[in-house]
Amino acid sequence: MSLSISELSWGHSVPGGSWRQLFQGFNLHCPSGQFVVVIGSNGSGKSTLLNLIAGALRAGGGSVQLEGRELLGWPDYRRARLIGRVMQNPLDGTAPNLTIAENLRLAECRRFSVFGRRGLIGGLHPSRGDRRRYAALLEELGLPLADRLETLVGQLSGGQRQTVSLVMASLGQPRLLLLDEHTAALDPRAEATVMALTDRLVQRLGTTTLMVTHSLEQALRHGDRLVMLQEGRLIGDWSAAERQRFTPAALRALYGSGTVPPDTTVPPPPAETP
Amino acid sequence: MLSIWIGAMDQGLAYAGLALGVYLTLRVLNFADITVDGSFALGGGSAALLLSQQVAAPLALLAAVALGALAGTVTGLIHTRLGVNDLFAGILTTTGLYSITLRLMGRSNIPLTDLKLSVSNLPQLGFAADGQWLIALLVVVLGLIGLLALWLATDMGLALRAIGNNPVMARANGISTRRGLTLGIAAGNGLVALAGALVAMYQGFADVTMGIGSLILGLGAVIVGESVLRPRSVPMALLAVALGSVLFRAMIALALQLGMEPVDLKLATALLLLAALGLGRLRLPGVSDPGGRS
Repeated sequence: MSLSISELSWGHSVPGGSWRQLFQGFNLHCPSGQFVVVIGSNGSGKSTLLNLIAGALRAGGGSVQLEGRELLGWPDYRRARLIGRVMQNPLDGTAPNLTIAENLRLAECRRFSVFGRRGLIGGLHPSRGDRRRYAALLEELGLPLADRLETLVGQLSGGQRQTVSLVMASLGQPRLLLLDEHTAALDPRAEATVMALTDRLVQRLGTTTLMVTHSLEQALRHGDRLVMLQEGRLIGDWSAAERQRFTPAALRALYGSGTVPPDTTVPPPPAETP
Repeated sequence: MLSIWIGAMDQGLAYAGLALGVYLTLRVLNFADITVDGSFALGGGSAALLLSQQVAAPLALLAAVALGALAGTVTGLIHTRLGVNDLFAGILTTTGLYSITLRLMGRSNIPLTDLKLSVSNLPQLGFAADGQWLIALLVVVLGLIGLLALWLATDMGLALRAIGNNPVMARANGISTRRGLTLGIAAGNGLVALAGALVAMYQGFADVTMGIGSLILGLGAVIVGESVLRPRSVPMALLAVALGSVLFRAMIALALQLGMEPVDLKLATALLLLAALGLGRLRLPGVSDPGGRS
């Protein structure tokens, strides 16, 4: 398994002093290269799950293994060397006062510790060679940003910033992509562009991907597998073929029902792809 | 008359390290570091002590930089490891540094009047010692700007700029904000201590109180420099900050020339800074960032 989450637990205090245990004995296993779409109502734990994997939140117990490496003891920045993340808010994923090329270079640096020797004596960056590579990559991905590498990211629109953020997440050879409602703040046109880019990048990289979304249209159209969370529990788990039985309306009806349809059982973890 | 302005330029250049240190912590790292008040005096005091013990000037300067960096590291660790707010962390260190500097110096003031520096071998340019200092300080400050510009253009420097710009993004890209902040604050205070040492050498004495108000002087230089040059790149921002230090000193010299009492100097400095801040906002309404990338 590329990503293997076992017996994960996490809770938090709520106003009034009581404790809410959101995840208890949570399991999710994703084979290498699988594109998993995660849906669920507000508060179901979708973003929390991504934050627990990325290390932005500290799990109470359990195990999160990525390609056999246990992540739970690692700080978030160290996990980021294996994980590319795109956050919901386009402002979170990029440095606005740095240029597109500088942002892309930072993403590439995730492979090594920038505060080590290489960060100091590894040359001046982004170099001319870096810029050529980035321009070629952006052109190859069909993005009209290749000639804007020296533009400050803060001068881009929300959709363009999210596009840069997505390209950044794909750089530095990530082993896992975490996309947290990354089109939620975008208009329909920008959403379509970012989702098309998401599909292209996931296909190109072959990286295991977890994408959280509230868009049921996206959930039915993208990814190899669809899972539904409620109150920190996995209440639905369907393959691309199985999800074909749903319309967006049927899927919406499941929100908050607490059960899966009678003819749909939660399947066992899929076998690892050879 | 001209020698007064050369003297002001010398002072501005001697204080340029302070301005560059404040730029590094405040503008690059977005960290309001009050440690500079303590590390400036620490740099001046330690260098004066070593120079009075006949230690070579370059070694005394290096020692000052190392001690300043150590002070910055302490603030960085208090902030990043203990989670203490940036202002409190700086206040704690600078408060402790007063006693440490006093202990180190052994007295509140060390005169350096008999000091023979190799600066006196430089050409005088018609302005006696002020001309010699102008050459020496220009070389030091331009060297510092070059080194800093190179450092900030490495992956390490890029990471420091990212930390100040968006720490969430920095961590999501594998950058340890704790290490980066500590390193940057250490470097900033190393620069400030160097300025303290240079100022002590230039003015011929070090005093344990010489650091009081340093932060505002550094901040003034940064704001004046950015307002004048409106830099769009890091090297230009560094040049602007050094130029700001010189201009800030020149403005103070002008005020003194116009008959201002030295006792009113701090008030004049505050008003000058306020005017620079106000003018900056007037020029770019609603934009607080004066335009430098970091």
